[in-house]
Amino acid sequence: MVAPQPMLEVEDLKKYFPIKTGVLSRVVGHVKAVDGISMRVYPGETYGLVGESGCGKSTAGLTILRMLNPTGGKVFYKGKDVYAMGKEELRNLRKEMQIIFQDPFSSLNPRMTIGEAIGEALEVHGIARGKERREKVEEILKVCGLDTYHYRRYPHEFSGGQRQRVVIARALVLEPQFIVADEPISALDVSIQSQIINLLEELQGKFGLTFLFISHDLSVVKHMADRVGVMYLGRIVEDAPKKEFYASPLHPYSQALLSAVPSMLPSVKKERVILTGDVPSPSNPPQGCTFHTRCPRAIEICSHEVPHLKKVGPDHFASCHLVRELR
Amino acid sequence: MSAKNKADEICKLPTPKRDTEWTLVWRHLRRNRLAMAGLIVLVLFLLIAIFAPLLTPHDPVITNLGNALAKPSSEHLLGTDWLGRDNLARILYGSRISLAIGLISVTIGMLIGVPIGALSGFYGGKFDLFIQRIIDILIAFPGILLAIVVVTVLGVGVENVMIAVGIASVPIYTRLVRGSVLAVKEQGYVAAAKALGIGDFRIIIRHIMPNCLGPIIVQSTFQIATAILWAAGLGFLGLGAQPPDPEWGAMLSKGREYIRTAHHLTTYPGLAILFMVLGFNLIGDGMRDALDPRSRKHR
Repeated sequence: MVAPQPMLEVEDLKKYFPIKTGVLSRVVGHVKAVDGISMRVYPGETYGLVGESGCGKSTAGLTILRMLNPTGGKVFYKGKDVYAMGKEELRNLRKEMQIIFQDPFSSLNPRMTIGEAIGEALEVHGIARGKERREKVEEILKVCGLDTYHYRRYPHEFSGGQRQRVVIARALVLEPQFIVADEPISALDVSIQSQIINLLEELQGKFGLTFLFISHDLSVVKHMADRVGVMYLGRIVEDAPKKEFYASPLHPYSQALLSAVPSMLPSVKKERVILTGDVPSPSNPPQGCTFHTRCPRAIEICSHEVPHLKKVGPDHFASCHLVRELR
Repeated sequence: MSAKNKADEICKLPTPKRDTEWTLVWRHLRRNRLAMAGLIVLVLFLLIAIFAPLLTPHDPVITNLGNALAKPSSEHLLGTDWLGRDNLARILYGSRISLAIGLISVTIGMLIGVPIGALSGFYGGKFDLFIQRIIDILIAFPGILLAIVVVTVLGVGVENVMIAVGIASVPIYTRLVRGSVLAVKEQGYVAAAKALGIGDFRIIIRHIMPNCLGPIIVQSTFQIATAILWAAGLGFLGLGAQPPDPEWGAMLSKGREYIRTAHHLTTYPGLAILFMVLGFNLIGDGMRDALDPRSRKHR
């Protein structure tokens, strides 16, 4: 059997933001938001990208879509280099790759009706106008659990959960295949979160969508994802299939994160790995392994040698000196 | 019929006319007495400007030297000037010039300043830096001085005053719009529009500018008042409307010579300027409060 072609391939992607000071805007350093990440996402799969806030996961999402220009590295979508695309190709790419943002309150223009907001893209890409446009928008509204009469309403008339449905409808109206969901539920009430998660799963089944699901909520990722990547300070420290990741995380950071997930069974006492200190500044990351300052199991080598992401299982990668590489 | 069905039925009725933001603004404005006073003053001036010929039997430019410098009387309610022209007629007709100067010059300033500010804020970088340094230089001059320079270059006359005052208000608009655009372009819906492949131009027109309207409207009401003052100032200096046009500033300037014997030649045009400027300022103040969602919520 031929190995399936990945839909999205990220190779050593880097995104640094310059820190400028003074009148002459001298660059005095860089915030290394994304510092060399690689991943593969296969068609129909959900890749869960997790990490603390500020670890660069949202920046990674935006850079993959070329909403931000990368500092280095490559992204291939269906084998095509995203950063080498011309204007016209990029416009077509926008139809195939979409993004759902975290905050449904700021991601809808308060002066546009829902119908306009969703239908605008159809018009701009010359897909449908007039009556046909309206029909398409009403159809996608229904698919996303809204009603056709919402077409003429303004965003301020909706609740957070409904707004997020509108945002999802807007992302889906161009019939994309790949969707970056950037913390799509973290701004919502817990009672609404599950509805949106179910909607996303339903849509994935219906349209065969591929997701890059960015989240800091490990239990949601456990529910949604097929594969999990853990980010720390701009790097992926562990990358594994979901089952393996939740059963036996290998990187100390992953272990600490998982031990912090509340258990549904109070009788089961878990061993908590408590991390001390704060995430170091991404403008001045620690030498060696970026995690060694907080790692409960750090040894001497960790403070001066950078561990590389290595194969530690058949389909399991981790970057830690303590984990033996699989040959 | 169950309650739920009923609720569904109500939801599916044709959408009733709902409050748009502008009806909310109007409702708030209506409760602001000072703003309403300003609005009434402005409406009065507008009616005067339109119906001036019906309000006075006299002509503002025909001279009657036999009746020069007459005190106010039942024939000439506000007296006559040094050429025997009816003072009231000149003030009434003068409102046309002042309103025109205010509205047209602000429109000119807006048409130039808003697009520059929007592009500067949206694209940022070197382009923004370049534009903003030029604006810094322009802002360093007092507006009236800038207007004098422009009038000196273009020559005197009402049209040139409009252009001059318009150009002098460009930097104010550019700064204002740039600031609003900087705030709005960080909103999620702008990023979403980019992700949908919507072009920059359309993003600016459809997503950014509509959300910057509030400050522009407020600034414009104040700017009209300022423009009228500047124009009156230019008229006073003899750089504005030329005789025999009844421009308030020019009337003040000429009337000054007769201030001891015929104070009505300076008092009444002065009051006219005062009230028109006050009217625009009051409504501007009211608009600023009404367009600010924070102040609107608590009433």
